Amino acid sequence: MQWLALAARSAWNRRLTLGLTLAAVALSVTLLLGIERVRRDARASFANSISGTDLVVGARTGPVQLVLYAVFRIGAATNNIRWDAFRAIADDPAVAWSIPLSLGDSHRGFPVLGTTPAYFEHFRYGDRRALEFSAGAPFHGLFDAVLGAEVADRLGYRRGDRIILSHGIGGAGLPEHADKPFTVVGILAPTGTPVDRTVHVSLEAITAIHLDWQGGAPVPGFSIPPQYVRKFDLSPKEITAALVGLKSRAAVFRMQRRIDDYAGEPLLAVLPGVALDQLWEVVGTVERTLLAVSAMVVAVGLAGLVAVILAGLNERRRELAILRSVGARPGDIFLLLTVDGLIVTVLGCAVGVLMLAALTAAVRPFAQSHYGLGIHLQLLSLPELRLLGAVVLVGLVASLVPGYRAYRLSLADGLTPRL
Amino acid sequence: MSAARVVALRDLIFRWTPRDEPCVDITHLEIGAGERVFLHGPSGSGKSTLLGLLGGVLAPERGSIRFLDAELTQLGARARDRFRADHVGFIFQQFNLIPYLSAIENVLLPCRFSTRRGRRAAVRSRTWLGEAARLLRQLDLEPGLDRRPAMRLSVGQQQRVAAARALIGQPEFVIADEPTSALDAERQQAFLALLLRECSDAGAALLFVSHDRRLAGAFDRELAMPSLNRADAAREAA
Amino acid sequence: MRLSTLLIALALAVAGVAALPAEPPKHRVGDRLKQSNGGAKSGHNYQEIGWNALIPTGWDPAAPFRNMNLGALSDADVRANNALELMRKAWDEAPVEAGWNGQRVRIPGFVVPLERRDERVTEFLLVPYFGACIHVPPPPANQIIDVFPNEPVPNMRTMDAVWVIGPIEARRSEPKTSSDRRMGMGTAGYRMKAELIEPYKDR
Repeated sequence: MQWLALAARSAWNRRLTLGLTLAAVALSVTLLLGIERVRRDARASFANSISGTDLVVGARTGPVQLVLYAVFRIGAATNNIRWDAFRAIADDPAVAWSIPLSLGDSHRGFPVLGTTPAYFEHFRYGDRRALEFSAGAPFHGLFDAVLGAEVADRLGYRRGDRIILSHGIGGAGLPEHADKPFTVVGILAPTGTPVDRTVHVSLEAITAIHLDWQGGAPVPGFSIPPQYVRKFDLSPKEITAALVGLKSRAAVFRMQRRIDDYAGEPLLAVLPGVALDQLWEVVGTVERTLLAVSAMVVAVGLAGLVAVILAGLNERRRELAILRSVGARPGDIFLLLTVDGLIVTVLGCAVGVLMLAALTAAVRPFAQSHYGLGIHLQLLSLPELRLLGAVVLVGLVASLVPGYRAYRLSLADGLTPRL
Repeated sequence: MSAARVVALRDLIFRWTPRDEPCVDITHLEIGAGERVFLHGPSGSGKSTLLGLLGGVLAPERGSIRFLDAELTQLGARARDRFRADHVGFIFQQFNLIPYLSAIENVLLPCRFSTRRGRRAAVRSRTWLGEAARLLRQLDLEPGLDRRPAMRLSVGQQQRVAAARALIGQPEFVIADEPTSALDAERQQAFLALLLRECSDAGAALLFVSHDRRLAGAFDRELAMPSLNRADAAREAA
Repeated sequence: MRLSTLLIALALAVAGVAALPAEPPKHRVGDRLKQSNGGAKSGHNYQEIGWNALIPTGWDPAAPFRNMNLGALSDADVRANNALELMRKAWDEAPVEAGWNGQRVRIPGFVVPLERRDERVTEFLLVPYFGACIHVPPPPANQIIDVFPNEPVPNMRTMDAVWVIGPIEARRSEPKTSSDRRMGMGTAGYRMKAELIEPYKDR
């Protein structure tokens, strides 16, 4: 037990050089754990974003792309699907419910979703959880809007506030539908999914605000005031995608085949779970590469630690001889030097974990508002503990090297090292 | 085996590798309890090797090392290390102390490695700390320096702390390898006097190795390495 | 020199382990899983079955073809296509074998995940052949099992080959609306509560 105290004092004496290697180990541990945590939280977040939906239907792009823009509001559709194609699907006897989705507008960086009240009734996330309102109710009037929790929170909106939508997805500088403001009638409870950062309006409203627009910009000199829009036919002609729920889950393959074969239009229907798996396959290679790189960084950090201890070994030969003269055995010397490296490894891991916590706290709001990703501030999970254990183990094995060298030196030097 | 004998070497032969010439070849050497022996010899005469043999870190090829009641050559390495911890104190020429420990922590080191010495220290002064402090006072070290890190002490102060460490717990045998060689002339005599006094106070035999024969006068016996070590003489002759 | 080589080797070993590539898929589209040798394993309280056992005896979707002499038809004959359409419809509306109710079985198949909680699968479909949702015609209703694992399953991916063990039941809920009845669309299918899920290994 005194070895720990002696090693600690000795390490404290060399705290400048050891401190640098400790910082290296700590940073590499933060990197390793951080990548692992983001990876797992992102996967969980994606998996939790949609539930109870049998098929996601859109124009014929790719399955991953379709799910990304329809569910996660990331990216854009290449094509829309016509309303009658949607109705043909919705009216199919195998379908229990369907939710049309219309994307393309935004509000101060947050995407706007045009949909029907069926959305609030049938949409599920996480483990079959339904959407709840923290204030208000679904939209009723034409220019009503329902905000996700994040939108209301970040922009400080409350029921009754008026908002202006912009045309297109992006930040500032987009053309606005300034003459047709919307009223906030409802705010959803937080879900930890992309729903939180979405502004929900009715499909008719999307048609209404684009009545006097053509080709992505307002027609100059032509404007239809909001009170007259009802005089026009506001039924939607096109939507971006649709979510479909079936009466029997096992019917999903037949329905998928039917939609894919639909003669009227090139459509694509995907099972969200399967599309997610395909996404993970693509992302998986990147993940593994990142993990491998961070593992190498850890190895480099530990190698540096070992190098520093080895380099300092020569100066400590006198010290070791003194210890031997008061009765230390060569095995004790071996322990002393090994513990030296182990202390720095363990402390490095501890500091790395603390830095990870600080980093997580800092990054969370950004990830949530920009990507709808829920990153959790949590105690170490089991996979993370295993990673840490592996780092400590490798550090221990690496520390055996200076330990052994000191052992041999001590044996050779005896009480009187020839320096 | 008379109780008055601390160390007895007989027909001791040591060589570094089987192909070398013997480095140490001693027919007979005895040191009695409390005896003060001065050993001089030039470097290369095998002094350090002899100290290693006496300290139990080296094992001879042949011969006997009787240390109190134990035959060192028949003990395993672990037992020899324990024996050294229990019965022998060492003072080196310089760099005697662990630099990052304080003076008093250095003095306490043998108590941590030897329960016997720790016990004897506690018998003498009730606590280890008390005994360490007492020795440091005896060796003329100011109390304020007790807690100072060893690397911030002067050479003279370090040597005195080393002597205290060698003596704590009253080991039977103290080996001093050129302890005054790094000190200036006036301090050498002072240190020697302190050391001799404390050794007799503790009842410890002292083997004092030095190349400076002027110090030999204070000792009971004077030995010369070349006449003691036949291997050395053989080397000289060759 | 020796030391630095050792350290570099250590670093590479760590990196190599972390970068183990994913296993390449072992099955091709259309592959079916072999049953294990021997039939019922009464010692384990469940019965091992194959997918054919889920098809009611006497149901023959190819019935329209039985009496047809394909060689006698001319090319692109309407009757050939009609028979095909009839068979497809029959395939779609395949009945279930009501005898399977509550019996504990062990059946191999491929996974199509439906529901997840975090990364663990809480509901999936089990299909008899590889790629059932991709290229080949979808299996009929009596060849798909809606599986609810007792415990959410980690590390489960689309088209993983597994053994599912648990009680199976055949559900034949009545068509809800009159139009459903007219179309013959009862929601029929098999359901299992999976007490145990084992990865399928080729013996």
